[in-house]
Amino acid sequence: MTAKAKHLDLWQVSKTYQSAQGPVEAVSDVTLSIEEGDFVSILGPSGCGKSTLMMMLAGLESITDGVVVERGRQVTGPREDVGLIFQDATLLPWLSVLDNVLFPVKILKKPRNEYLRRAHDLLAMVGLSKFENHRPSQLSGGMRQRVSICRALILDPPLLMMDEPFSALDAITRDEMNLALLDIWQKNPKTGVFITHSIREAVLLSDRVLVMGGRPSKVVCDIKIPFGRPRPDDIAESPEFNKLCGELKQYIQSGHKRTEDVST
Amino acid sequence: MPLMVVTVFLGGWEFTVHHMDIPRSLLPAPSYVYERMRTTFSPLMTNAWPTTLETMVSFLIATVGGVVLALALTSSTLMNASFYPIVVFFQLIPKIALAPLFVVWMGIGSTTRIEFAAFMAFFPVVISTMAGLRATPGDALRLCQGLTATPWQVFFLVRLPYAVPYIFSGMKIAITLAMIGVIVAEFISAERGLGYLIVFASSQADTALILAAILILCAIGLVLYGLVALGEWLAMRRYC
Repeated sequence: MTAKAKHLDLWQVSKTYQSAQGPVEAVSDVTLSIEEGDFVSILGPSGCGKSTLMMMLAGLESITDGVVVERGRQVTGPREDVGLIFQDATLLPWLSVLDNVLFPVKILKKPRNEYLRRAHDLLAMVGLSKFENHRPSQLSGGMRQRVSICRALILDPPLLMMDEPFSALDAITRDEMNLALLDIWQKNPKTGVFITHSIREAVLLSDRVLVMGGRPSKVVCDIKIPFGRPRPDDIAESPEFNKLCGELKQYIQSGHKRTEDVST
Repeated sequence: MPLMVVTVFLGGWEFTVHHMDIPRSLLPAPSYVYERMRTTFSPLMTNAWPTTLETMVSFLIATVGGVVLALALTSSTLMNASFYPIVVFFQLIPKIALAPLFVVWMGIGSTTRIEFAAFMAFFPVVISTMAGLRATPGDALRLCQGLTATPWQVFFLVRLPYAVPYIFSGMKIAITLAMIGVIVAEFISAERGLGYLIVFASSQADTALILAAILILCAIGLVLYGLVALGEWLAMRRYC
């Protein structure tokens, strides 16, 4: 295998909040690299600092200590070549589906006509062509989240960050969305950082899974997912898949006690 | 149903006045009020116009000023900490009591009445707009931040639209307060306007004319409120 270029490099990254009870360390001493084109999930229970870590990578949270480098340049704030997807679809209720997808184009004052075709194509890819002129309130939760995925992809960013994008959806819709995302990745490969607390979701989608846990929170486990792409729809029923899920579950439950065992 | 209640009420009023021989200066019958309104329609209209105009102008000043101040107060914590308590203070005190001061400081012209009415109507707009500007979902702001949007873009493309329902609820309070402000100012200072006409009629013990003027005021008030509500309906269709 040829060595892939590094997209993100984290070196001893920490985040400390000031609270009334004194400083609270939310993320402690994370050092790792994310390679170009890899889909990396960050897995952990709620409150483990995984969202904070993503926000620091996106430049939306200040970094208390350590350095994040993206393609050779230090990250100091938000930049337009990162696509963001939140837990809530965060669509603007007064804009049509199409205008919501084109919102980043408007903010960055790029020519709308040049991106119109791409917007149509993206909406067609997620099966929402017929809904381009609908308002978000006329769509279901899953459809809204698909719109927000299109919005994150409209400028074709090399890096996509997703903060528990499907955790507000029901189980059936969630499975559908996972397959839709696999499909999007197949057609549109890029580097992905995916925050989730679902083990199966992480294994299904990722090339690599990082488990966060403990207090203060660290990366306690770093596993490569050996499945190639495209992945068959029924991969989640295979024994290897379930074995991996079981292993990950152990790491999550044992928390940081296992930290020493899995040092890179 | 309410129409029936009103009919019964007016009928009872008419009947009581005739039956008990109540003097016109005390309580004129509805039929006489109507008669008085018909015969003095032209002076009523001449006086209705300045009242309406001053109400609309002061309402516009209060709305624009209120939204601008709300923006300034939500844009920085220092501004907010320094001025928000003052805004709340003015919102709570009975501002009507300050009307004579406005006359002392600014004379008895039309400008004084507009300024006083705008002062009355201003604070609810500030407070509800501030509530609206704070109601923007945090994720929407983070999305904009992630796209490196400028503060002006965030304000005009996201925060202001999210605040629209709040701004209109402030405007609906403001239009009624602006009208009250103009009438009170006319009571104490005017040489024209329906408020002035009411004071004049009461000095003549012309109760029918007072009631006629009040009736016209009610009509104006309802139309102005209706216009704001119409604007709200249009804006809600656009922004919600």
